[in-house]
Amino acid sequence: MKKLAHLLETRQVSSKEIVEHYLGEITRQEPTLNAFITVDGDEALRQAEASDKRRAEHRPLSLWDGIPIAIKDNISTQGLKTTCASRFLANYRPLFDATVVSSLKNAGLPIIGKTNLDEFAMGSSTEYSAYGVTRNPHDQARVSGGSSGGSAAAVAAGEIPWSLGTDTGGSIRQPASFCGVVGLKPTYGWVSRYGVVALAPSLDQVGPLATTVEDAATLFSLLAGPDPKDATSAAARVFEVPTWDGEFIKGLKIGVPEEFFSKGLHPEVEQAVRKGLGALEEQGAILIPISLSTNDYAIDTYLTLVTAEASSSLARYDGVRYGERALALDSNTMFAKSRAEGFGPEVKRRIMLGTYVLSASHYEAYYEQAQRVRTLIKQDVLEAFKQVDVIITPTTPTAAFRIGAKQSPLEMYLSDLFTAMANLSGIPALSVPCGKDSRGLPLGMQVMGNHFSESLLFRLGHFVEKTVGIEGGAVGDKL
Amino acid sequence: MIDRREVIRMARLARLELSEMEIDQYQKDLTSFLTSGKKLQQVDVSRVEGTSHAVSVAHELRKDEVGKSLPQEAVLLGGPQVQDGFFRVPRIVEAQE
Repeated sequence: MKKLAHLLETRQVSSKEIVEHYLGEITRQEPTLNAFITVDGDEALRQAEASDKRRAEHRPLSLWDGIPIAIKDNISTQGLKTTCASRFLANYRPLFDATVVSSLKNAGLPIIGKTNLDEFAMGSSTEYSAYGVTRNPHDQARVSGGSSGGSAAAVAAGEIPWSLGTDTGGSIRQPASFCGVVGLKPTYGWVSRYGVVALAPSLDQVGPLATTVEDAATLFSLLAGPDPKDATSAAARVFEVPTWDGEFIKGLKIGVPEEFFSKGLHPEVEQAVRKGLGALEEQGAILIPISLSTNDYAIDTYLTLVTAEASSSLARYDGVRYGERALALDSNTMFAKSRAEGFGPEVKRRIMLGTYVLSASHYEAYYEQAQRVRTLIKQDVLEAFKQVDVIITPTTPTAAFRIGAKQSPLEMYLSDLFTAMANLSGIPALSVPCGKDSRGLPLGMQVMGNHFSESLLFRLGHFVEKTVGIEGGAVGDKL
Repeated sequence: MIDRREVIRMARLARLELSEMEIDQYQKDLTSFLTSGKKLQQVDVSRVEGTSHAVSVAHELRKDEVGKSLPQEAVLLGGPQVQDGFFRVPRIVEAQE
């Protein structure tokens, strides 16, 4: 991105030309890929022209002024359709921008469109989108992952240089891993969630996806910071893109949790991550075997909490003030019919499960119990960081699976086996490409750190990219 | 197997109209989901409080200042049915006999 920024700064290329290039890629690839729900080429070109004018007048808004971006379609964009991949919001145009969108606009980034996801971010493959599945750019018979599958696939295919996703249990990292790009789930609270459609407010975070760690860090620097509109945003912390020297690796203590290298892990994934770990050790890092035994409960805890919070978050879709409404003679029937027609099967399933665990007779046994187990998980993770600087695991148990392969909901939920822990404990986690399997499918390494340690995660991720010589997995043309 | 009437009760609480087929499906899903909850019930949590938020920072409260609101016309634009500056909804109370 630095190169692109330099070309813009020295007027060797215009923002309009860049946006035209990506719009061309989108037109060429979308018929098979389906990474976007909405593309707004006209508006992106208008924004690009405005950017070129600012550059001509020597008053760019930032170094990145004029470089376009794509936004996951559960993040509000004023006047631009935000469907959450749901029929319920098929024609919904937000009246305001999410704070992260304002930040990008304030830096001069043209917004090219909105990317596909599982409906309301509930899923791990985009197969639950009301607008069709997003195919994996590396193998069209396979999923791109989810829920931020559109954001990951668009970047991997070269339809856009970077994008925003959201991550509640792995929704940035898992598709990043499946598509061979970099994705960060930031520390809970470091990025504003104002204007981001809530799935599970105690777990949701917005984060960057890009082809390189440096680009992901650059994008994160535009997102991180406090927001008076989000009471859960962390007070007065600023993120600065780190320097990229490799000295820090000497003596860096890397925790390797045995529980993440056991049953359910595909041997080729294990091999790739172990190879990466070996290379880091050769460069001077110290590998320390650790135990995160509470990960055994992570998926069950996550499921209980995410369904409970989702059933509550989605109570607002009643067909009164926006969204689709079914015809009925009284309001209660109107609510129930509108919701029945507007929501897809996975959303209904989670609302049902969530309503069950929150209902008076089951609250204590399920919801409250899960909240307490969450405390044990968090303690387990924070205890580990007393011993080690970072923890490295595979991002996912397998490479991208085939479209239609996961038959039961529980099978699908297991995609989050290695990622949910970071959301439950609020820590940041970065997925970086770490090679490919024998079929040429990208594999990902997950680097987790203590709260607000993004800088270290990026430095390590960058080191993995450059020094260890593990190539990224983007397949698209790069400008 | 969880009681079918329980599934119907949940659907009513969640304001979801379900078909007979969906009720059957969610009866199965809820039952299998409960295995997950049962697994958590084996964990000894007697010595900990629940976590509702991952990062325990004191929430920063902003000043309570009057700000600019969205214009009424703009807000009404998204409404499925609008009349005289209001969102119109079907009847919400029973008519008096």
